[in-house]
Amino acid sequence: MELGRRIAKTLEAATFDRVAAVGLANAEQNRPRIARSVLELAATPLGAGDSALVVGAGPSLARRRSLVRLRESDWPGTIVAADGALGACLRAGIVPHVVVSVDPHPERIVRWFGDPRLTEPAADDYFRRQEMDPVHRDDEVGANRALVDLVDAFGPKIKVAAATSAAPAVVERCEQAGMDLYWWNPMYDDYERPDSISRRLWEMNRLPCLNGGGNVGTAAWVIAHAVLGKRRVGLLGLDFSYPPGTPYEKTQYYPELVELLADRFAEAYTHLENPHVGETWFCDPAYFWFRDVFLGMAGEADCETLNCTEGGILFGDGIAFVTLDEFLVGRGGGGE
Amino acid sequence: MNEYLKGNYELNAKIEETGDAEDSTEEFERKALSRLGGSICFVSKKKLIWNGDQADGAGKKDR
Repeated sequence: MELGRRIAKTLEAATFDRVAAVGLANAEQNRPRIARSVLELAATPLGAGDSALVVGAGPSLARRRSLVRLRESDWPGTIVAADGALGACLRAGIVPHVVVSVDPHPERIVRWFGDPRLTEPAADDYFRRQEMDPVHRDDEVGANRALVDLVDAFGPKIKVAAATSAAPAVVERCEQAGMDLYWWNPMYDDYERPDSISRRLWEMNRLPCLNGGGNVGTAAWVIAHAVLGKRRVGLLGLDFSYPPGTPYEKTQYYPELVELLADRFAEAYTHLENPHVGETWFCDPAYFWFRDVFLGMAGEADCETLNCTEGGILFGDGIAFVTLDEFLVGRGGGGE
Repeated sequence: MNEYLKGNYELNAKIEETGDAEDSTEEFERKALSRLGGSICFVSKKKLIWNGDQADGAGKKDR
């Protein structure tokens, strides 16, 4: 088995090591701000019908002009966005009904909501380097300032499905922008074990624990069907991979892979040919793990999942691969 | 391992074993790998939503 896939197999435990302590500390800090459960979201006014589109921040969004096409379609369904895709949505003229935020990182994630405190380029090159929202790469401070204005303008129309693990700075920013927050706990471990952290967390705040699948995009998909009850769920920007030609140094985990594997870092990337688009995309071990987990979850979910990204590596049993235009007119998958 | 590394001399100092080298390598690897992980856990073979045990009447929605 190649190195990337071998590493991917270890990431269930590695993710626990990465997020559990800080996520629980954030849950404690966020506790006084928790007023509503995510389960209350289903009863709020969202989009029409039983379809939802989950929007992630992958490179196919820009490549396929997915958000512009979505806006032009006047599609009436529910839009659930990962926090990293909020800026792209608002810039394209789309106000998501729900934005999902999970990552406990103390500084980075607030930038997806526009960070009013940022006045000069950050020492951390995360936003300049990575591919998720290219406008941050070209003019970090200017892009942030524009996003602050957009989020301030549209915040009162947006509901946030906030994990208790979310950084307090993110929670503060959402409240400041007039967003309503609906809370949930990330599932950290097997709740059936008597010493379970998930169980202890539930006993502390009585919020439902959601199995998040490793990343905010998958968590948004879980919310779309298991919380909001949507039966037909399309995916946009959930690529879990990089398009052909992307330099390794522009990928999410590049610095960590170089530090871990030195000059063997390139062996950690897995290349997969997507037969639906005839392109070979590649992913780091984390993205391969996200894909693996998603395919397993989609195969057992009581909803129809349609991949409308027109790219990426998320194809296989349990997922129909359709164009965005087919999805928007109700075609593709079992509903055809 | 120790039974294969017998010397033909006695040490004056008492050497205390501080732990298995394999354990520390494993610990290092786990720490390094944690930097490659995701932003939220995945718990295999579990429900998508758990909202407390149904038996205590607290659970609202489990899938």
